[in-house]
Amino acid sequence: MVSLVLVSHSRKLAEGLQEMVEQVAGPEVRVTVAAGTEDGRLGTSAPAITEAIRLVDDGHGVLVLIDLGSAALSADLALEDLEPAQRARVRISAAPFVEGAILAAVEATLGSDLDAVAAAAARAFDLPKLPQD
Amino acid sequence: MGEIRFLLIDPSGLHARPAARFVQTASRFRSAVTIVHGPREANAKSLLSLLGLALREGSEIALRVDGEDADAALTALTTELAPFVRRIGTTRQIIGGVS
Repeated sequence: MVSLVLVSHSRKLAEGLQEMVEQVAGPEVRVTVAAGTEDGRLGTSAPAITEAIRLVDDGHGVLVLIDLGSAALSADLALEDLEPAQRARVRISAAPFVEGAILAAVEATLGSDLDAVAAAAARAFDLPKLPQD
Repeated sequence: MGEIRFLLIDPSGLHARPAARFVQTASRFRSAVTIVHGPREANAKSLLSLLGLALREGSEIALRVDGEDADAALTALTTELAPFVRRIGTTRQIIGGVS
């Protein structure tokens, strides 16, 4: 199953989202967090993201979701430290953090491939917060 | 093909968790599964599509299942929806016919 890594500046934010993802998509979903700095401050860490990817990848690929700003830079750096074969099955998603993670997680539990899971996350841009009628 | 109509009776409509369960169950079947809400139709194998209907308490929906395993799918999906809906329409079974 495609796995998810939630990258956030805040450990609390990422862990809260992980809890939501697990509740919505079910316990079989493969999701982990890489959030905060090693000394517990707000920030993102490329080595932590690399480690999270290695931990969670079962060979079906990993979608990395990011909160904002330098999370993207850290995620890019994290990919450079992966073996090329593993890097080839990791994708960084630009999708909105919360909606993207939920949509990707449910798609992953359907057994979809990385392209489909990434596409599901990207469709979060079109998900209205409020009813549109 | 089978179709059942429901009235949503849950005060919070169909929220993310049951919607996700519904998508997961629908995806286990070969049949096409569609939720119809007024003029809009959602592919019930896509969470975004389903959430995009913005179903609320009082929404009338039709669950439409079309395919070789439609009977089993209707049974499973009706069970998923049961806590949130009241059934208001009967099943139409049209085998090899024109709807």
